[in-house]
Amino acid sequence: MDAYINLLTNGIATGMAIFLLAVGLSIIFGLMSVLNFAHGAFFMWGAYVGAWIFGLTKSFTLALTSAVLVGAIIGLVVERSTISRVYGNHVSQMLLTMGLMLVLGEMVKVFWGPNILTSPLPAYLAGSWDLNGVIIIKYRLFTIIVGAATALAVYLILKRTRLGIIVRAGVENPEMVQALGIDIRKVFSLVFAFGAALAALGGAIMGPLGGSISPTMGLENQLLAFIVVVIGGLGSFIGSLIGAILVGITGALVSWFLPEAALAVNILLMAVVLLLRPTGLFGGSGL
Amino acid sequence: MILEVEDLHTYIGEFHILQGVSLKVPSGSVTVILGRNGAGKTTTLRSIMGLIPHRKGKITFEGRSIERLPAHRVAQLGVGYVPEDQGIFTCLTVEENLRLAMRNGTSGKLLEKVLDLFPDLRVALRKKAGNLSGGQRQMLALGRALVTGSRLLLVDEPSKGLAPVMVERVAGAISQIKKEITIVLVEQNFRLAKAVGDYYSIIDDGRTVVSGKMGELVENHELLERYLGVKQAAR
Amino acid sequence: MKMKKKLTVVLLAVLLFLVAFIPFLTDSRATLNLMTHIFLWAIFAMSYDILLGYTGIVSFGHALFFGSGAYIVGLLLKYVGASWTNTILGILASLIFGLLVALLLGSLSLRIRDAYFAMITLAFAELFLVAALKLRWITGGEDGFSFRVPELLSNRVVFYYLSLGALILTTFLLYRFTCSPAGRVLQAIRENEQRAEALGYDVFRYKLLSTAVAGVTASLAGSLFGLQMRFVSASVLSLEKTIDALLMTIIGGSGTLYGAIIGSALVNLVQDWFTGLARVYPLFERWPLLFGFVYIIIVLFFPGGLVRAFSGMTETILFKWQARRNPADNYTPGKQDDAVRVCLKRR
Ligand SMILES: Nc1ncnc2c1ncn2[C@@H]1O[C@H](COP(=O)(O)OP(=O)(O)OP(=O)(O)O)[C@@H](O)[C@H]1O
Ligand SMILES: [Mg+2]
Repeated sequence: MDAYINLLTNGIATGMAIFLLAVGLSIIFGLMSVLNFAHGAFFMWGAYVGAWIFGLTKSFTLALTSAVLVGAIIGLVVERSTISRVYGNHVSQMLLTMGLMLVLGEMVKVFWGPNILTSPLPAYLAGSWDLNGVIIIKYRLFTIIVGAATALAVYLILKRTRLGIIVRAGVENPEMVQALGIDIRKVFSLVFAFGAALAALGGAIMGPLGGSISPTMGLENQLLAFIVVVIGGLGSFIGSLIGAILVGITGALVSWFLPEAALAVNILLMAVVLLLRPTGLFGGSGL
Repeated sequence: MILEVEDLHTYIGEFHILQGVSLKVPSGSVTVILGRNGAGKTTTLRSIMGLIPHRKGKITFEGRSIERLPAHRVAQLGVGYVPEDQGIFTCLTVEENLRLAMRNGTSGKLLEKVLDLFPDLRVALRKKAGNLSGGQRQMLALGRALVTGSRLLLVDEPSKGLAPVMVERVAGAISQIKKEITIVLVEQNFRLAKAVGDYYSIIDDGRTVVSGKMGELVENHELLERYLGVKQAAR
Repeated sequence: MKMKKKLTVVLLAVLLFLVAFIPFLTDSRATLNLMTHIFLWAIFAMSYDILLGYTGIVSFGHALFFGSGAYIVGLLLKYVGASWTNTILGILASLIFGLLVALLLGSLSLRIRDAYFAMITLAFAELFLVAALKLRWITGGEDGFSFRVPELLSNRVVFYYLSLGALILTTFLLYRFTCSPAGRVLQAIRENEQRAEALGYDVFRYKLLSTAVAGVTASLAGSLFGLQMRFVSASVLSLEKTIDALLMTIIGGSGTLYGAIIGSALVNLVQDWFTGLARVYPLFERWPLLFGFVYIIIVLFFPGGLVRAFSGMTETILFKWQARRNPADNYTPGKQDDAVRVCLKRR
């Protein structure tokens, strides 16, 4: 039983970090129909910046904040300078964002070297609680709380704010949003930067969860995020949440029995969903 | 003249769709654009709105050139657009649809006025716009364009696909609106056009072929039959 | 127009002649290896061009075909024996494997929007990569494994001609394919999918055909690559390999086939040069960064490829010169893909 609770919390925690990556990917796709193959790079940059700042200042809050800021800035710069030039051209978009993934990944190697680094926890989040024999690892709980809080915040933004209304309207009919006097390009930039910031937050949280960071983590986690959005339905907020938790738990469970097969099982899951429901579990249901 | 269009040429892909459309819209009037299916009426409105780039031609709104402006700038200057498919955001509620259109300058009074004009909308404020009937959607599309506070409305075939009763109500709404706002109306339903229009302009094969006062067109059987296929009975 | 075609043919013949004579001019192993590399990568890049350039499909997992080709041949030769039969069986097996995987991935994702194929191929390539890394007792994991090949094949010169022959044959076959009615439909899909659909073509089936042709060709390139290296490691399945093929395709100009060959030569030469430099100056270990920037610039500013941008320039100059001599010749350069232009002429 213990083992299962352990696996479950681990799976949900990982799922939450992946959710932060996937939700931006999904919203960006929904609004701008850009499938961002560079999204994992924002995640990785978040992880590296977080670990770096934490090493320098020993403040985890500062580490997370700077990761989010750096993510937003990179996202904004990248969108304004390159991606905004290829809206409407799917092939160029995919090729371009994959190129950005490469460049951003190589730049991580330039700044922090190509080797695996450790990503430590702050002391107050280290260790675990023992509740009647059930071990709760503090940092996992922290990850779950941050993930859930962010999910709620994103949901409220989408549901309640003017920006959220514009985004939902833009997903449906970007041209009409423009015809109502709203500069959709600005909204695109904003949403892109926002998605990148969320991804960076996910990365900064994921680093200490696994304990180490490496230049391959961007692609690896992006792959999981793709699986999540395919399962949940590209463009769906709820889909990315449920999909991420599903993928996180599946990964944790399978890893326990056969670590080699974790990715395979998740990919299989995605293939099955694709066969049965090509639009994903929550695709086309709005939000 | 609130809007002047001169020798507009627009391409879609490699197709030369508009080959010289001209339009003069006097302030405070309803100008009806008529023409067969595929004549280029929608393309004209979209070109004015800045939703498709045009290659050649002049567009002036309130004395100011609005060529090459992006759609949101044109809208901000005071041009509202009701597209052929109404462009309702079905995933938003009616209220959200209206709020989205309201800009900083628009007051709640305007919204109230619009809701008075379309009581159906007031009842359905919290409903998903996707659940509205076709007629209600048209009301919402018109209402949404009105709450932007625009001084010119471009309305594309509001009677399309509506039951005759609904067409009557749309006609009523337009006659109300026209008291305050200039309207360019694309309409195939000649009865509606006749009822609300002050001026007309006929587009054929992407060219403006003739324009003038609505009253004169009603008399001109030859024009009607040649360009609009309007038969004796329909009149 | 006619003059241009004649010129192309003559140039090609001269080039082929030169290339065929390289083994007589030098016996440097490095040069022969590099040239062989260029030939095999050209096949791989052309297979990518069938997808990207001729059909408008983006794949980020093309290395899956290349790598599995290398693995299949390698494993067979290592565990069953370094015989000719096994070599040929291995190549055939990798072609069939490539076909099956292409059909599987295609049917999973080609019906949905275009981004899905890119995602699915990426995912499956990664899956194969992980499998190659984790199945250590078979594949040697990260270190890979080396294997013996039939005596004759380990002769560099023989293999050089073999690869050159394979390149010429594939180029010819792929060229025929792109000019075939099916190939034209693919190009119609690339230009405007809705229109192709409206014309009554079963777009899905044609796209599937395109992935099958590309997959089989890539598998061929991979199995030959394995034979050349006599060594396979997981890197043949990595995303970098796909990106290299992609870069070669777009540098040379996608949708031309010959662009992929030029791209292969360019990228391999530069890579070879940089790898050499990196041994002396560690700074050059980050050359993928430079490649990344070049790649982005090409995608953004030279979507037709550097070669076409360049030849467009020279053509314009030539054209001006020709126009002065013959004003009636009303030919606009760079309007159509060269291959298409030639195809159209043949009809
Ligand atoms: N995307 C497109 N590609 C090619 N041609 C187009 C496209 N959109 C419109 N057209 C053509 O442009 C012409 C004008 O279209 P437009 O929609 O402006 O006509 P319309 O007068 O509004 O017709 P209707 O009364 O049917 O609404 C038509 O002949 C149409 O076929
Ligand atoms: Mg129309």
